[in-house]
Amino acid sequence: MIKPILSKLVSASVLCAIAMSSQVAQADAIDDIKKSGVLKVAVKADYKPYGFRDPSGAIIGIEPELAKDVADRLGVKVEYVPVVSSNRMQFLEQGKVDLMIATMTDKPDRRKVVSIVDPNYYSSGTNILAPAKYGFKKWEDLKGKPVCGIQGAFYNKKTGKEYGAQIVAFKGTAEAYAALKGGNCVAFVYDDSAIVAKTKDPAWEGYEMPLKTIDDAPWGLAVKLGETKFHELMSDQIKSWHKSGRILELEKKWGVENTPFALKMHEEYK
Amino acid sequence: MNQSYYNGFNSRKRKQEYKTDLPVMITPEVKEPGSILSSLSAYIFKPWHGFVILFFCMVSSSIAFGVDDNAKSSIAEVLWRWMPLLLKGFIFNIVISICAMAIGTAAGAALGLGQISLNKWVRRVSWFITQFFRNSPWLVLLFFAMFLLPFEINIGGLAIPLPDWVKAIIGLSLPVMANVSEIVRGAVVSLPSGQWEAAESLAYTRRQTLWLIILPQCVKRMLPPWMNLYAILTMATVLASIVGVSEVMTLTGQALAAEGGRTDLLAPFYSFVLLIFFMYCYPIARWTVRLEKKFSVIG
Repeated sequence: MIKPILSKLVSASVLCAIAMSSQVAQADAIDDIKKSGVLKVAVKADYKPYGFRDPSGAIIGIEPELAKDVADRLGVKVEYVPVVSSNRMQFLEQGKVDLMIATMTDKPDRRKVVSIVDPNYYSSGTNILAPAKYGFKKWEDLKGKPVCGIQGAFYNKKTGKEYGAQIVAFKGTAEAYAALKGGNCVAFVYDDSAIVAKTKDPAWEGYEMPLKTIDDAPWGLAVKLGETKFHELMSDQIKSWHKSGRILELEKKWGVENTPFALKMHEEYK
Repeated sequence: MNQSYYNGFNSRKRKQEYKTDLPVMITPEVKEPGSILSSLSAYIFKPWHGFVILFFCMVSSSIAFGVDDNAKSSIAEVLWRWMPLLLKGFIFNIVISICAMAIGTAAGAALGLGQISLNKWVRRVSWFITQFFRNSPWLVLLFFAMFLLPFEINIGGLAIPLPDWVKAIIGLSLPVMANVSEIVRGAVVSLPSGQWEAAESLAYTRRQTLWLIILPQCVKRMLPPWMNLYAILTMATVLASIVGVSEVMTLTGQALAAEGGRTDLLAPFYSFVLLIFFMYCYPIARWTVRLEKKFSVIG
């Protein structure tokens, strides 16, 4: 009868040991990356065209290409770690990735958790896609109505709290679009650049982007808090992207209209 | 479950056809041969169900076709293009299920034996652990494993990475462990006490009785519910998508996003996922029913 006790003890102590031994030795991120020869970057895998999968399973898009630039600069290989909005900051905090370029909006409360690098590399605003027949004119019109959103997006809170909409959050864009078409919600709150593309799609005839874009907020790529050297390197990298017009070039390559923000930054750093 | 095993045991006597009027000698009528489990799974899975699901898949995809007539060929084409990736993701689900089952079975067997231990405290602790994990939602346990376990373990300077899917395996093996524990306990208890008494009269120690007499008889009693548990576990592996493991559900969502959120693809893609799970789990269920029948006490 010793056996069951022992096995339980062992399993319990293993669990405890696993939970306790999470301390990871602190060292400079750049040295670590160069030593391991791999730069691990958190990117989206469900956000076309910023980060998505091709049928072979590889992650492609604007942000993976930016990440590749960083890896090339460091002279290492790049490894993409797919993340979603709800776990991207944890991955960086835990050290599971070295760098995060995952369509994250730069927010003051997020700056406390991860080290967001200045200047911002991109920007987008929030708007809704809605059937023209509803005739929405202002954000307040959404009050009390069901509005589809994406889980973990920051603008859900604003649309829900300030404008009183009932947010129905979905896992991915396909599900949210289907819910909108199925009439489960009256509008879909999302990034304006994606919505502009949809309104031009013949499959979405009769749908419009009726409201004024709000929260035109910059996106921030981030490194772990306290990694000052890596932070500086990334800051320099972003400046060089803006300077060379790399972001404009990538927008064109992946079929996005050049955003005012990217144009402005290119002018500024040219 | 125990009840039905006894029923099965009794019904062997019934076959010998006692000629008696004495009520004590008449065995109660047993309606269904085999255990509750086999009748249940026979009730849930019948061959025609497969056709119903196939039909459902075809109808749902044809509804999608109807929505977008000019995209008719491209839905099949798109699905075909993504199929290798989705199947790769599904293999990952199977790997997770097999590993979680292996760990859960090993730990659960120990825990189940702990539940029938002679030591009061071992018994109580095992009982508590079993009940705790058996009555917790699988997803909650999965979240616990995901967020409490670190991504890397340091043992003597050697960093062993603990990727998400390993954490998912650990998280899913906890409820499996508790369920296996109950299966083991139930099987041991279901054996007629005569087996214990006979062993004792032959001067077997408790340990010998357990290993040489009781457990070998339990194995075939445990096999069908154990396989049922495995099928349930396999279907539960999609929960791992919620915690970010790149398994078939996650990949389906990402494939749909990569196709630009086309609404007409939603039904065919998820139907495909449904179908591959069905094709994997259905034979297991049928096989379980067959084993149940084979091992049932009635000849």
